[in-house]
Amino acid sequence: MAATSLSSPAGLRRTRGAGDRAGDAALFGLTALAAALALLVVAAIVWRVAAGAWPAIRVFQLGFLWHGEWNPVLNKFGARDLIVGTVVTSFGAVLIAGPLSIAIGLFLSELAPPSVRGIIGTLIEMLAAVPSVVVGLWGIYVLAPFDAQHLQPLLGRLLGWIPIFAHGGDHVESTVFSAIVVVAIMIVPITSSICRELFIGVPAELEEGALGLGATRWEMVKTVVVPSVRGGIVAAVILGLGRALGEAIAVTQVIGNFIPLKLTIFAPGDTLASRIANQYQGAPSNLAVASLIYLALILLAITFVTNLLAQRVVKRFERRSAGA
Amino acid sequence: MQPGEALLLKATGRGRRRLVTNRVAELVAVLAAGSAIAVLGILVWSVFSRGVGALSWDFFTKGPVLFGPGGGVAPALVGSLLLVAVGAALAVPTGVLTAIFVSEFASRRAGDQVRLWLDVLNGFPSIVIGVFVFALCVQTRLPIVGWGRHESAFAGGFSLAIIMLPLVARATMEVLAMVPNHLREGSYALGVSKWQTVLRVVLPTSFGGILTGTTLAIARAAGETAPLLFTCALAGQVTDWNPTHSVNSIPILIFQYSEAPDAHLHEQAWAMAFVLIAFILVSSLTARFLFERSRRRLGAAR
Amino acid sequence: MTKTLKITLAAVVAALVAVSAATARNNGATITAAGSTFVAPLVSSWTPALDSAFGYTLQYSPVGSGAGIAAVTNRQVDLGASDAPLTPDQAAACKGCVQIPWALSATTVAYNVPGAPVHLRLSGPVIAKIFLGRITNWNAPAIAALNAGAKMPNLKITPVYRSDGSGTTYNFTDYLSGVSSDWKTKVGNSTSVNFPAGIGAKGSSGVTGVVTRTPGAVTYVDVAYALQNHIRFAAVRNNAGKYLYPSLRRIQAAAAAFPKVPANNEMHIVNPSRANPLAYPISTYTYVIVPQQTSHAPELRKLIFWALTQGQKPQYTARLLFAPLPKNVLAASEKTLKTIHQ
Repeated sequence: MAATSLSSPAGLRRTRGAGDRAGDAALFGLTALAAALALLVVAAIVWRVAAGAWPAIRVFQLGFLWHGEWNPVLNKFGARDLIVGTVVTSFGAVLIAGPLSIAIGLFLSELAPPSVRGIIGTLIEMLAAVPSVVVGLWGIYVLAPFDAQHLQPLLGRLLGWIPIFAHGGDHVESTVFSAIVVVAIMIVPITSSICRELFIGVPAELEEGALGLGATRWEMVKTVVVPSVRGGIVAAVILGLGRALGEAIAVTQVIGNFIPLKLTIFAPGDTLASRIANQYQGAPSNLAVASLIYLALILLAITFVTNLLAQRVVKRFERRSAGA
Repeated sequence: MQPGEALLLKATGRGRRRLVTNRVAELVAVLAAGSAIAVLGILVWSVFSRGVGALSWDFFTKGPVLFGPGGGVAPALVGSLLLVAVGAALAVPTGVLTAIFVSEFASRRAGDQVRLWLDVLNGFPSIVIGVFVFALCVQTRLPIVGWGRHESAFAGGFSLAIIMLPLVARATMEVLAMVPNHLREGSYALGVSKWQTVLRVVLPTSFGGILTGTTLAIARAAGETAPLLFTCALAGQVTDWNPTHSVNSIPILIFQYSEAPDAHLHEQAWAMAFVLIAFILVSSLTARFLFERSRRRLGAAR
Repeated sequence: MTKTLKITLAAVVAALVAVSAATARNNGATITAAGSTFVAPLVSSWTPALDSAFGYTLQYSPVGSGAGIAAVTNRQVDLGASDAPLTPDQAAACKGCVQIPWALSATTVAYNVPGAPVHLRLSGPVIAKIFLGRITNWNAPAIAALNAGAKMPNLKITPVYRSDGSGTTYNFTDYLSGVSSDWKTKVGNSTSVNFPAGIGAKGSSGVTGVVTRTPGAVTYVDVAYALQNHIRFAAVRNNAGKYLYPSLRRIQAAAAAFPKVPANNEMHIVNPSRANPLAYPISTYTYVIVPQQTSHAPELRKLIFWALTQGQKPQYTARLLFAPLPKNVLAASEKTLKTIHQ
């Protein structure tokens, strides 16, 4: 046994007296306390947010979820449009980022020459390191004008017969569409790196078996690789969704902060996180503050459920692949 | 040439279609990766080209000017450092201790529970954490120094610590799991107590991994804006090291300047973004380097 | 490697210490303030003068009137700055705060319409309809009727409003509630209202930013920001039928139309009657909100007194189109100032 980085055994005490037992107990206590603290923080967050939202819950109760008016002057608040906006933005982002991430994962695991694989993988992970506020800054001054001048009119022409893509012929920069693109950019790195790990983990024999039987590489991927990690892909996508739901800063910079929502995504909108970020500091009344915290509670519930769902999928996937 | 293609070259109709489908799929995958890298490239290039002009000695040493050209972001640089330092000081010990608990003391079920709730904490949106810390620290009347009734770097650092905690804990857990068991067993066999083993054997061996986790957590915390919005955003134009005061920070300043029409403030926002990205990139690469090094060391210890 | 790391870290720390020493100032008191973006340019011009006069370091966070009121209510800052007077609820929550008018200026209706005249003519009812979403194109007959001879482009109108709690919103909605009963019933008057149409942005800088980038956009913004960013603003019709854009004289005329100062200093000077032909109809005072009992009372009194007197001089105010406070308001402000104690 080469003890290259160990302290020399001679330096360690060899007796096992009361001091040791006290030390063991102390370390146990200290670490257990730390772990309990970590769990306590979770509980404290849920409790404090619920407590802060309580004045609004008492007034609006569950109707808050399906009333759409947000009027600080009349002290009438409702989360419906914000929930819809959150869902539309997040699911839209996942619809773009999901297939893209799977494709990138496949590229990195199957297609790229081994020499290039590491660099490209690192580059894509670097995208995950870009902070939200920088993506938002870039979104305001580079992406949104590009969307307004070129991308939105183009998509409006191609898909405008579908109401959700109706384009009014104007060049509005702050739109739900820009927010969707920004969030998609932010979740691609996470989802694609998980997919890459999943695809790399597929046993080589399975892949070679399919190729040996005469399948093209695409057919091998379609029939062997993807089905064997299907649960993992679903979990990765759900994790990306969870991240998308909570994104506040970049969204609030490009989405336009406007409700009620219009049917088309080429118009300004708002989400739960974005509204909290925008209005929390200067809310004019206590009920307004409590309503914003109520929004935070709803957001907390949605992300909590999403993350638990991802965990559940991962567990089932692990059980299945362990048994395989 | 792939094994299947040789057979397909002779084929027509369905065989050719399969070949074409394969090529199209490959193209799509290449385009997907290419587009992701292109976006990264455009983003980094935008930040660099628009911000590099504002980088100057004044930028790094002077404070902001409220209205008009000139000024710099020095208070925000100092403030960010302070906030991240407070966050790390709170999160690293707690995270490492939690990881030690899971790895050395806890039963399998208890460990799973802790891991689960740490993952839940990791999934909380950072804006909700900001709301929580505001309600807890800034709104209350606790008579603790730096606490209560006003924004402070303590409050901001605390909210960053909550975000950093799962990252540090998880990275430490992973590296503790990588420490070969026979090191521990050998130590116990020599009669060394558990706490001595952890402190003198396990921790030093996993130090590189812990450093990695800390660096990654710091890189993440340095860019967070939402938790600071309500806990440490009302700050002025001079440099302040006092953690009981509210301080400026780079992400908050970028957020505020990003909505400014003043071209000078734009430029400063891009320059700050450049500095921030450079810092995060360097930290992430350092973390990766440290991780590889510690993994090699642990491999050698086998 | 570890040694290099240590040396690098030491160098970074040394640099930061040097930087902070260069920028920190420790002589005199530090006074924190937060709030209105409207008065931020003026406060910014006051800051160096206060430093040389008293050695005070004034730290100002332009986070919006709503946030400023919240901040001083929670005693997170020494002074709050708001263009909107405190509502009864806010006054009660602030627990013994007073509001002191310390500057006077105007809100413009700024627009980005290529091809429109330099000072487009608009009337109160038309502006209300635009922001209600009822007039949607710049070539609408209602706008053309006011601007004979101008060729208005066929361009969609995008109203832009403040998405944060804003005193400028208060001033603008105050005016609109006076000229349009529809607006008064449907939207109302507050720092944060439910705008029926358009896009939101944060801060005066935010809205001017959106307007400069969006053809067809129209917003309401303090005249200092409009001037600084070279955005065109409208000539608004007052009750005497004159179309006026803001100027020092016209703002003073609006203030002079309301000589009475109520006990709580809350002044509404929008929409002056037709007896004031020179008055610009969307003018406003802006207030500093101070707790009556504060440990910093001597410094705050000195600072605010300086702002009310020296700070009104043309070298600070004229370029930003802040008009000097009229004598009656000055007297009332000084009287309120005396009630601040330790």
